[in-house]
Parts: sequence; structure tokens; C-alpha cells
Amino acid sequence: MVALTSAAGLVGFLSEPDSTLQAFALERLNDDIDSVWTEVSGSIGQIEALYEDSSFSHRELAALVVSKVYYQLQEYNLSMEFALNAGKHFNIDQGGEYEQTILTKCIDTYIALCALHNPTSPMSKDRRQSNDFDYKQTADGPANATASMSSPITPFSQSALPSKSLLSRDEDNSWEPSAPGGGNAGVPGAHPHPLTLTSHVKKSLQNVVRSLFESCYKEGAYRQVVGIAVEARNMDILREAILRASQDEKSKGKKAAVAGAGQMEDLMDYVLDICMNVVQERGLRNEILQLILDLLNDIPSPDYFAIARCVVYLDQHTMASDMLKKLIQKGDGRSLSIAYQLSFDLYENGTQEFLQKVMEELPETEDTEKTVLPPNMGQTRAPATDSDATANEEDNDNSAESEQLLSELQDNAGSTSTVVASRTKPQPQSEDEKKAVTSVKTIMRGTKSIELNLEFLFRSSKSDKAILNKIRDSLEARNSIFHTSVTFANAFMYAGTTIDTFFRDNLEWLGKAVNWSKFTATAALGVIHRGNLGQGQKLLEPYLPKGPHDSSTGSSYSQGGSLYALGLIYTNHGTHVLDYLRRSFKSTSEEVVQHGGALGIGVAGMATGNEDIYDELKNVLYSDSAINGEAVGLSMGLVMLGTGNVKALEDMIQYAHDTQHEKIVRGLAMGMALIMYARQEAADELINGLLDDADPALRYGGILTVALAYCGSGSNKAVRKLLHVAVSDVSDDVRRIAVMSLGFVLFRKPGSVPRMVELLSESYNPHVRYGATMALGIACAGTGLDEAIDLLEPMMKDSVDFVRQGALISLAMIMVQQNEAMNPKVTQIRKQLQKMVGDRHEDAMAKFGCAIALGIIDAGGRNCTIGLQTQTGNLNMEAIVGMAVFTQYWYWFPFTHFLSLSFTPTHITGVDGDLEIPSFKFHSNTRPSMFDYPPEQEVKTEEAPEKVKTAVLSTTAQAKRRQAAKARRERGESMEVDPTPTTPKPDGADVDKMDEDTNVVETGKEGEEKADGETSAPGSTKKKAEKEKVGYELENMSRVLPGQIRYVSFPGEGRYQPVKKPTGGPILLFDTQPDEPKSLLELKAKKKTAPPAPTANGNTVGPAPGAGNADQGAAGARAAAGVLTTVDEDDEGGEEAPCPEAFDVEDDEEMEG
Amino acid sequence: MADKMDVDAVSGAREEETVGPAPDLPPERIIINNFDLIRQAVDAFDSRFILRALRSISTLRKSDKFAEAIVQGVRTAFPKPTMGARKVLEDMLPENVTAMQNGTSSSGEDKKRDGSTEEQQLPEIWAYLGILVQVYLYDSQQFQDGADFSTNFVEKIRSWNRRTLDQIGAKAYFYYSLFHESLDPKPPSKQSPVIEVRPKLLAALRSAVLRKDNDTQAAATVLLLRNYIITADITQADLLVAQTQFPSAASNNQVCRYLYYLGRIRAIQLAYTEAHDHLESATRKSPTAGPAVGFYQQSMKLLIVVELLMGDIPERSVFRQPALETALYPYFKLVQAVRVGDLQAFLRCVTNNEGQFRKDGTYTLILRLRQNVIKTGVRMLSLSYSRISLRDICTRLHISSEESAEYITAKAIRDGVIEATLDHQNGHMVTNPQRDAYSTTEPSEAFHARIEALLNLRDECVMAMRYPMNKHRQELSEAAKAREREKELAKEIIEGEGDDADGDEGGFEGM
Repeated sequence: MVALTSAAGLVGFLSEPDSTLQAFALERLNDDIDSVWTEVSGSIGQIEALYEDSSFSHRELAALVVSKVYYQLQEYNLSMEFALNAGKHFNIDQGGEYEQTILTKCIDTYIALCALHNPTSPMSKDRRQSNDFDYKQTADGPANATASMSSPITPFSQSALPSKSLLSRDEDNSWEPSAPGGGNAGVPGAHPHPLTLTSHVKKSLQNVVRSLFESCYKEGAYRQVVGIAVEARNMDILREAILRASQDEKSKGKKAAVAGAGQMEDLMDYVLDICMNVVQERGLRNEILQLILDLLNDIPSPDYFAIARCVVYLDQHTMASDMLKKLIQKGDGRSLSIAYQLSFDLYENGTQEFLQKVMEELPETEDTEKTVLPPNMGQTRAPATDSDATANEEDNDNSAESEQLLSELQDNAGSTSTVVASRTKPQPQSEDEKKAVTSVKTIMRGTKSIELNLEFLFRSSKSDKAILNKIRDSLEARNSIFHTSVTFANAFMYAGTTIDTFFRDNLEWLGKAVNWSKFTATAALGVIHRGNLGQGQKLLEPYLPKGPHDSSTGSSYSQGGSLYALGLIYTNHGTHVLDYLRRSFKSTSEEVVQHGGALGIGVAGMATGNEDIYDELKNVLYSDSAINGEAVGLSMGLVMLGTGNVKALEDMIQYAHDTQHEKIVRGLAMGMALIMYARQEAADELINGLLDDADPALRYGGILTVALAYCGSGSNKAVRKLLHVAVSDVSDDVRRIAVMSLGFVLFRKPGSVPRMVELLSESYNPHVRYGATMALGIACAGTGLDEAIDLLEPMMKDSVDFVRQGALISLAMIMVQQNEAMNPKVTQIRKQLQKMVGDRHEDAMAKFGCAIALGIIDAGGRNCTIGLQTQTGNLNMEAIVGMAVFTQYWYWFPFTHFLSLSFTPTHITGVDGDLEIPSFKFHSNTRPSMFDYPPEQEVKTEEAPEKVKTAVLSTTAQAKRRQAAKARRERGESMEVDPTPTTPKPDGADVDKMDEDTNVVETGKEGEEKADGETSAPGSTKKKAEKEKVGYELENMSRVLPGQIRYVSFPGEGRYQPVKKPTGGPILLFDTQPDEPKSLLELKAKKKTAPPAPTANGNTVGPAPGAGNADQGAAGARAAAGVLTTVDEDDEGGEEAPCPEAFDVEDDEEMEG
Repeated sequence: MADKMDVDAVSGAREEETVGPAPDLPPERIIINNFDLIRQAVDAFDSRFILRALRSISTLRKSDKFAEAIVQGVRTAFPKPTMGARKVLEDMLPENVTAMQNGTSSSGEDKKRDGSTEEQQLPEIWAYLGILVQVYLYDSQQFQDGADFSTNFVEKIRSWNRRTLDQIGAKAYFYYSLFHESLDPKPPSKQSPVIEVRPKLLAALRSAVLRKDNDTQAAATVLLLRNYIITADITQADLLVAQTQFPSAASNNQVCRYLYYLGRIRAIQLAYTEAHDHLESATRKSPTAGPAVGFYQQSMKLLIVVELLMGDIPERSVFRQPALETALYPYFKLVQAVRVGDLQAFLRCVTNNEGQFRKDGTYTLILRLRQNVIKTGVRMLSLSYSRISLRDICTRLHISSEESAEYITAKAIRDGVIEATLDHQNGHMVTNPQRDAYSTTEPSEAFHARIEALLNLRDECVMAMRYPMNKHRQELSEAAKAREREKELAKEIIEGEGDDADGDEGGFEGM
């Protein structure tokens, strides 16, 4: 029979008393419901009644019909409910649209239901309660909120905001009640409220989903199950899925082992990936990681590197140390290599505090003990607390911070006993093991990584002196802003390379530094020698304050600067110098020295969470001096970085309200932001409090807190908040930082930022425009992203000078390490930068930006990129903090140096089992020009500005006119010369460089040429024009850009095999022929000694061809030291107290200019 | 009625033909150019280009080499004769054309074949060619073939589930249902194949809703309504309207049609006010000139009848419009009869034009007018006389008895048609004195209604506007250039001053 044309008759049957007739009608309706539903929908109540009539035999059929009608009416929730009641009649295996829709609905509901029932993380447990608390507070209005902020106890004690993220569904957000969650899942009303479902429905829902999972397992579609499980926060399902996957793999047998081997790993990678990048809720993330960790341990051949990532994230130091111990005990070459690699990874991703704990738990070795436990580090938390306890603590710390504080205190109190316990650990049995432990500790302390970086940067520095000289010549040194900017350019170009020849060669110029310029210049030494752990302190000897009794010997500016420099050298690795810094800081009463000392302590003692240091800083803060207050506030934050320490926050907020000095408020605000680094939801309360404050400086801090707490999270909530403030706040400063902060929140997705700030970059408000430029620079740093460049390029011509400045700096940050092959625009922009810096009509602010930009674009001898995340994708704490403080250069130039913290050397260095650097080659499957250094500047360009300069200086008007015309002509010519593609003349450039570079040792040159031989030797540039072969060899410890890594491969049959897939940084190599003699690369940086003090430290390693050079360098250094320390006294010897005016002048200049 | 509407509806798509590609291009060129448009649409995910490609159909179908052009297009898109997709399309085209084409262009084809052997053609292009085939079949009256082809065609389109296919899909469904309507037995019969189409359209509607496919959703809704109305299943049509939402983002043409059918349903259901609203918007939205004028005429006819049923008299100017004058002549007569309340003239007009009215589908509605004619007569009387006896009413309106006259006037009073009272004792109807309309809120209400309609029109226009991306960027860069120029000028001036000074000096020297 053909389809029904009208269902009126059948509908009529439904009201018949005879149940067979009713059943028949239902049967027919069910078949044709798609075409007659319009008529049936009128009598839907009747069919529902049939379903509810328990005596009716075809109840389930009735449910199915009702379900289908609701489906047609687009009432999917009801439809799903009835479909689930239809029992066997509802068959999900039929692939129709109806079934599919219902199934999707089922999954959504299941997720909602599970998420509601499984708020297993302790953080979510007291969600209810804390919400009430919030409501009360927000209901009381902002005034009350600020009041409660300033009262010491209320705001933070029970602070536990419910986690609101992409995956959380609670809409009662304390920020914006209307905030929608991610996707459809969070929209209220998208699901029937799970609690309203009857238990029967729930049960059949479970069954449906269950069978769905089963079919997924059958097809091997584990990822889908994992996805659902994660979203539903259902750990059981997740565990089951992973286990099933591994079983599946096993059952496939050995034949398929090769093919299937990757599956399990893939799945694990996938889970880790979602866990780190998609899940934004810390509680849930921790839970998943914990689960992965458990599972990974069960697998016979675990992926240690994946585990290491989890371990660092979960702060499970016991686990890490156990893993290392186990590997060391195995003792074979491969295990040891893995252990070392693991240590490298841990160092890269872990905080100082974490590493400290891991090292404590390793077996003792005599030689390391003293350095492992620095005196006064009351931070030794009980290693006995097992992994679970710490995990809980981690989970808890958001909800009950005061409790955590308490427990921390207890831990500290009990530290003596626990330390004893750790000392009783068995000594390592064999000599080998002892050696291995020592090596691991060296690595973990970071000494090795820093050493390698230093070696690499020194060895392959490609800085272009011509550019720097040009900047120096075109900027008038008497003007302090220009002098400072040249200093920065120099510092950035040579950051970490230890090549400080520029200072030595330009003593006259250096002599023009006065007051804070001198401070900055001295601190620049720290940037240049960053990581020079061995000789750092010796190097700075002449500048450092001599002690409490004769602090008057040197200029206080150079003393302060040198302390700051010392901090920069030992960035995030302060074990050796912290004591010295603290002593100097305490012993002086000179405000400038205190300023420098505070910065130094902050940088070196980053994230140590050391209460003693904190207290010392606080004492100085209470002296209420504007000069040191700013630095001290910042340092307090740096020391407590990321701890979320409640007591510290309370102190700081209190003082910020008490003090009159805006600088101190700003310093404290920044400090508070730093304390909340990466705390995400835990910072919400502080953020709300700060943003409600009447003081714009505190609101500024609030925004900065958003930026740092949510850095890299890409959180929608944070972005929304920032965008809102960016267009609504009354203070320009706050708006500026709000736009800028977008860069921090979104740096993991650089592609999304240009779109987001596109409109803001055309705002009428120059501060917003400036913020937009910086946001682009921060988020897209090192990517060379075209969209970002397209936005920034026109802004180089903005009508407001500081917007131009921002655009220039951001462009440099984006273009860092790009060459013409990767990004054709780069040459043009470099040229433009050089033109602008020499342009007479350009404003000072823009020139300042230009000089810095030139420094950044050649950062670290063209061997550094700016990376806010580590190679493995974790947050690079040091870099983020550096960048955040750098953005404060707006108020205080010396902060500019902080940018050097985010410079990451880009290299691959193979290290063998003895932690030595063997000579071997690896393969890069690209054209050599693809990732080459940008060409050297031609020497000619150097002359052009000089001629212009003389023309400017000539006196008679006639001559002036004539010469000006001539100069114009010449400039035109030089411009013509400029654009010719600067193919470096092989000999000329080299010779030139050799002459200038007094520090480069002869052998180093050779080594470089050898390394360059196959790759980018100048000679090969000519051949490039013809035809480049794809693929070439690279020597160990070569520059490998992040974009290049995926082309890099290691020769399969070579002697050295890497233990993991190539990433940047140190890679452990497994020596397949350990008995044969190794050829090692010579370490050049170590040989180079630049001892400024007369007692030249005889180096142990071999003969030093560079010894002469070193002496020469020492002489230069002495001279430089003389200039920096004395000049001030000659010029303005009587100036005892640096007047705050000088401090403010620069500020004003900044603001006005 | 059906035939008339076919033409109207088809021509709805033609309305914008003047905007299409230059008409002097040979048809096969147009088709091949359209391939580019479609590719662009798929790449940019922008349906505008697809619409542009579809717009040229009306130009194409007028060409006498339509079939050849299609074959050319098919050949270009599917160079291999063995391709399944090509075969399906070519089977539908006349054999002599394909054969001839084979002969002439085989050499050229060979070359092409080498170039694109395994190239996967976009489904959109295939579907576009399918639409052309449908149009060709319809124009050449091959309804049975067309119906068979369309059935497979729409099924295929639905299975692809691509958003860029939506517009093409909507059109495919349209022809699909059109073919079925043209098959025997013709629609009003309950055995018509039209009824078999319904499940398919309902399924299409459901899929479209689930896929958020506005175009197909709108098209399917309209086609279903049309389908129900053809077979006089007004209840079902009404239920459908009540239980589905018409997508707000539907194209103007579909909205017009939807409103028209809605008006029709409401008119039949005696909800004249609603029907009037719908029809009025439909006529306002529909194009009043060009090939789609058929739809305008049709909806105007219905609107006039509904207005009459509401007791209003359409304005004279309506019938003077050149597009309507001839088509609406019978209705003009009808209105005249109703206006004067002349029952005789009315009946005469109805019998004379019965055929036309039946064709327009307005006959049953017109029959309902009889009551209105009488009411109008009463109204005329009440306007003319302040008091009139029932007997006079009988004679004037040709009513048989005084009782029925009394009944009619009582009903008219109760319906609010006239303001009067009946004097039963004396057998008089007494008209209440006219009130001043301007003392009431009526004028302002009418005014308000007009303003509202205009505002809506404006809002729709604004929403329909497109803002080209990055237009403002150009202005910005111009501003930047202007700034630059200014700077340069300032520089020049400064330097120029220096020059002047020099010149003076030089002058002194010279002296």
C-alpha cells in the first residue's frame, strides 16, 4: 500500500476503546510518521496517555511515535526522553537522521549528566558554597567589594572560585553572568536538566551510550570515546578506553605489532594534547594527568618523556625522582641517556622549587650536597609527603589557600626532621651510579643547559657590528633616552654571547652615561653575560658595591646596575649569588643600590617562594621610598612568582592602599600579578577586587593579573574581560594594558590575535593602538606571521610617536630570526628600521623604539628567538615573566632588560652519555637558504650617515645649502646602493669581522668555517642563485630554527642515536660504539676568559690561543669599569641622593614625547 | 490555476536576469564561466557566487541552442565519456545533439582528457549542470523523463550534505515538484503523483532543518504548502504552517511565495484580516514588472477578493497599472458590482467569468461575496438615507421579503458594517449620525500602520546591504598619504624659508 495521504482516520482509531485498534493505528502511524506528523501532532497528548497507561500492551511503540513527533516538532529533548523509553523499538543502529539526532542528543545529555555527577575534583566540591559567597559579595556592590579587598582577611581566606572554563558548565559566573560556555554544551536550556530525568531514562541513556562506546571500540575509534569521556569528566570511561586500546593492540598479536604499535602512543599523545591544550580547568586537568600517569606506569616500556610532562605539571617530585632513580639503577647506557634527557626536560619545564625537591630525593653525593641545599632556604618541604598528598594539595590549593599556607608553615617547621630523613637515604652503591647522580643533578640545576646555550651563542654569534655602530652614530649620546636606547640595542644584540666589545671599544661614548643611563649601561653587562655562571661575579667585580663600610667608592648608579646585572646573569638560577645579593641589598641604604639589588634578587630568586627574602624586601618597602619601592614591589612578586601566596597578597594590597607613591602602587600591582602567574581561576577573586578599585594603577595590576594568571590559556572568559576593559575603562593606561594582555592570553594561538585586534588597531585612542601593536608582538613573537605584519606595517607611519614605537618593537619581535626566504618582507623592514633610526625628523620616542627593534631583530647574535612556550609546549615561565616586565618599560626604561629573559637560543645540541658534545652531523631536509642567517650589512651603508652628519654640522649658510643638496643627492645614491640584495662578499666581510671581533678566538673562526662549510658558507651564496639542493648536513650544536625542526632528521645508521624525537635544545645521544674514541667539539666559551680582576683565572682546559685576547679584553673591561664607576663622581660628585626629579623626568619625557 | 502559478513561480527566478552576464555571450560560454563562479563559491564558502551562476539560467533557456550548450558544458566539466556523472546527464539530452557534438569536438576532447584524467569534479558543478538539464526537460515538455531524473537528482544532492549545494538543492526540489505536478492525472485529482512527492519533501524539510540549510528549508516549506493547496488539503497545510518555522533568512522570492500561500490558507479559513496582511506583504515584496509579473497579478487578484470580503473596496488606481490592467479586468467588473451593491450585476459578472475565476482559484471565495454585496448595498443606503423603510430596502436591493431585509440589516448592524438602529414598529432603519473620523484615533492609527510598514521596509533594506571588507582600510591609507604630503609640505616650507634667506644674502653679496 502506498503512503498515507491523511492520518485523520488513524488518529481517530486512537480514541477507540479497543486496544488492538489502537495498537494497529500506532503501528501504521509509526511507519508513515514522516509524512503525516503534522496531523498526529494534534493528538500527541492522546498517544502520551497511551504510553503512560501501564495496561496498554504497546506502550513502547507509543513512546517511539511520540518521540518521532517531537523530533519533527524540533523538541529534541522530549524526543530523546521518549526515545529512551521506547526500549527495543528505538534502534540506534539504523543510520537515519532521526536516530542520529537522538544519539547526538543522548551524548550531550550524557556529558551534562556525568559532568554534574562527577565533580570529583575537590575544587569543584565546594563550588556551591563559594558561589554563595561570591554572590553576596557582588550583590553588595563594588564599593563594598573594594572595602573587603582592603580588609586583610575576608577576600582571600575562602577564595575558591568555581572553575569556569571551556569545559565547565556552570553559568553563574562571578565575572559576567551571561558568559556562554564553549559550544552548544554550555548554553543553558540546551539540555534537559539532567536531574529531572527519571532513573529509568537515565539507565537507558547509559545503555545507549554504552553500546555506542562498544561500537567505537570495535571500530578502533578510541579517540571519540576519549573525547566524550574527557568532556564528561568521566575518568572511568577514559581509563577503560585507554586500557581497551592497549589490550586491543596486544590481542592483535605480533604480526600487527609493527603497524599497531603507534596506536597506543598516538592515543596517549592525543589525550595529553587535549589535556594540556583544550581542558582549561585545572582540577580536571590534574585528574586526567594523574590518570595518565597511573596508566603510563603500568605499561612495560613507558614513554618517559610523556610522564615527565605530567609529573612537572602535577608537581609530583617524588615520582620524578623515583623515575630517575630507577633509570640510574638500570645503569646501561641507554637508560642513563634517557635519565639525562629527562633531567633536561625537567629543567626546561620545572620551577626552581620543583627541581630542588627532586634533587633532594636523589641519593646523596658528597660533592653536590652543599650546593643542593643552600643555607637559609627554608623551602625544603617534606619529601616524605607522598605523591597523593601533594597531588591533593595541588588540587586543594585553590580552594583553601589559607590551609595550604598553614600546611606549608608546618612543613617548614618540620623541615629539619624531614631533611634528616632524606639524608638517611642509602648512598649510591657503585661509582658509576654516583657519577650518574652527579650528572643528573648538574643538569637539573640547569648548569649544563645554560652552559650549552652560552657555548652555542658565543660560538655562532653573527651580530652585525655595522648596524650597532650606525645606531650609535645616528643617535646623540648626550640625550639620555638615546644613550639608553643604544645600550639596549647593544645588550639585545649580544644577549648571552658574552661579547661585550662594544662597550670596550666605545669608552668615550660610554662616558656620556650619567645617572640612570649609567645604571642601565651597567645592567646591560648582565644581559650580555647572561648565563655566564662561571665568571659572572668576577666579571662584575669592579662595579659591585664593595661592602657596607666603603659603599661610597663607586657611583651608586653603577653599583645598583651591577647588582641588577648580577641578577640577570644568574636568572632563575640564583643558588650561587642570592646570598651575595641579599647581603648587598641589606647592607646598603643607598636607594639606587637598593633598587638595583631588589631587581637582582627578584630575577635571580625567581619563583623560589623564599619567605626570608620576601620579608627582607618587605622591610625595605615599608621605608616608603618611591625609587626603591617600585623595584621592591616587583621583586616581591618575582620571588613569590606563581605561588598564589595569600599572606603576601594581603600585605601588598594593604600597602598599595596605604602608600602615596604611584610608583610603589604600580610596582606592587605588578608584583601581585606575578604572584598569580598561571593560577587561572584561583586568581579570579583578586582580579575582581583589583578591577573594582578606584585607583587606575591597581586596575592596571588587575588586568596584568588576568594576563599572567591566564597566560597561554586562550580562555574565552579572560579574553572577553580584557576586550571589555579595553574599550570601557576611563584610564588610558588600563586600556593599553588590557589590549596588550590579549597577547599574553592568546600566545598559543598566534593566528587568532591579528583578527582580534584588527579593529582595536584602528582605534582613535593611541594608547589602544599601542596596546594592539604590543599584543601582536607578544603573541606572534618569532612567527613571522603575515597577517600580523600586514597590520603593523601601516602603523609604522602612525601619527602618534609611541604607536610607531610599539609597531617597530613588535615588528622586530615578530621578525626575529626570519630571513628573506621565509618572509620576503623582512629585508624591507630591516631597511626601514635603519632608515628611521637615522632620520632627523623622526621623534625621539620612535627612534628609541627603532633602536630597540634593531636590537631585538638580531637578538643574541641572531641565534635567539622569542618563545613564550618551551619546545614541548609548556609555558616558559621565565620568558613570560620577562615579557610581562618588559612591557613596563613604558614607565621605567631599565625594565627593558627583562626582555632578554624571553630570548631562547635556537639550536640542537647532541650530548653524549658523558655530557660531552661529540662531533657528529645530522640532516636537515630543506634548502640551505631556507633557514639561513640574514645577510650581513654591507660596510658601505655605514658611511652614509656619517656624511649626512658632517653636512649637518657645517656652518655657513651657503655651504649648508649646497652641502645639504649634495647630501640629499648622496643619500639618494646610498639608497640606491642599499636595496641591492646584500650578498656578502665572502672575503671582505670575513676579514672585516675578524678585525673587529677581538674576542673571537682563532680556532673558533676555523670551527665556524668548518661548520659553515657545507651549509651557509659565504661562497655558497653564489651557488644559491643557480640551483639549491634540498637537504644538507648540519654539525652538532648548530642553529636550528623552530620552524626547521620538523625537517631535521638523524642519520639512522650513525654512531649516535637520539633518545627522543628531535626538538630544540639539548638532546641526549646514545653512543652505539662506546668503545671507540670520540671526537669532541671544542668548547670555546669556556676558554674565553674575561677576568676583569687582576687575578686572571688560569683555565684548566688546554692551551688557550685566545689567552692574549683575553688579556686584551681584560684591559678593555678595566677601562670600561673605570669609566662607569668614576665618571659620575667627576661630573656630579656632590650628588648624594639621586633626586626623584631625575627619575620623573624620563617618565615625563616618555609620556609627553 | 496550477498552470498559471507554474509560470509565475518559474519566472520568479528570472526576475534579476538583466543583472546577469552580458547576453551576447554564447550560451556555452556562459555555462563555462559559471563553473568558475561556482568554484569560487566553494573556495570562498560564499553562496553569493552560486546565486549569480543560477541567475543566468533564464538567459540560457531562451537561447535556441540550449541543449547544445548544456552538452558543451558537460563535456568541459567531464571530459571522459566513461564518467558516470556525465552519462547520467547526457542520457537526458536529445541524442542528435550529443551525437553531433561527439563528431565535432572529439579531437579537442582527446587533448583535454590527458590533462585531467583523474581530476575530481566538484559536486556543485555537476548539480548545476543537473539543474540545467531539468530546465531543458521542462521547457521541452518531457515531464515523465524529468520526473524520473529529478527523483534521482534530489536524492543525490541530499546525500552529499554540503552547504555550498544548498541553493542548487533548493532549485532542484522546485523542478522536482514541478515535474510531478505536470504529470497526469493533474493535481486536483487525489490520484495525482503530486501526493507521492510529499514524503520526500517532508524528509527534505527535516534534513534541511537539521542541517540548518535555510534555502532548502524555505523551498521545501513553500513547495509543501503548494502541494497541499493544489489538492485542497487545507487542513494539512494549516497544520504544517503551525508546526514549522519559516526561516527568517530565506530569500525574498521564497518569502513572497510563502506569504502568498499563507494568505490563501487564511482566506479559505475565513481569517480575512490575517489573509489581507499576508497578501499585502506578498504583493509589496514581489516584483511588479519583468517576467515575474505573473506572480504579482496572481497575488493581486487574491488580494482584491480578500479586500472585498473584508468589506473594503480596492482603489481604482490598482486597476490602471499597466501590468495589471488586462489581467484584472474581470475583477474590475466584480469590484464595480460589489461597490454599488448591485446583486444582479454581481451574479452576472460571476457567471460570465466563471472560467477565469476557477482558473485563478478564487471562484469559491468570490461566491462568498454575495453576502458582502448585500451588505455593501445596505451600507450605501445607510449612507444616503438617515432613515429608510425596510420595504424600500427590499426594492432597492432586490430582496424578496421584508423579513430577510430586516435580517440582513440586523446582521450588518451587528457586524459593524453600518451604524444604525432598527425601528421594528415602523419598519424603519434609522442611521446614526456620522461621527467625525478625525476626532477619533483612526487617522493616526492608519498613519502609524503606514509608517510601520515603511520602517520595516527600511530595516529589511539595511539588513540586505552588503559591506565590502576592508573598505575602510583604503580610506585609512589615503589619510596616511595625506598626512605624509602635509609633512613634506611643511618640510618644504621650512627649507624654502632657508632658501629665501640665502637668496637675500646672495643679493647682498651681489650688490
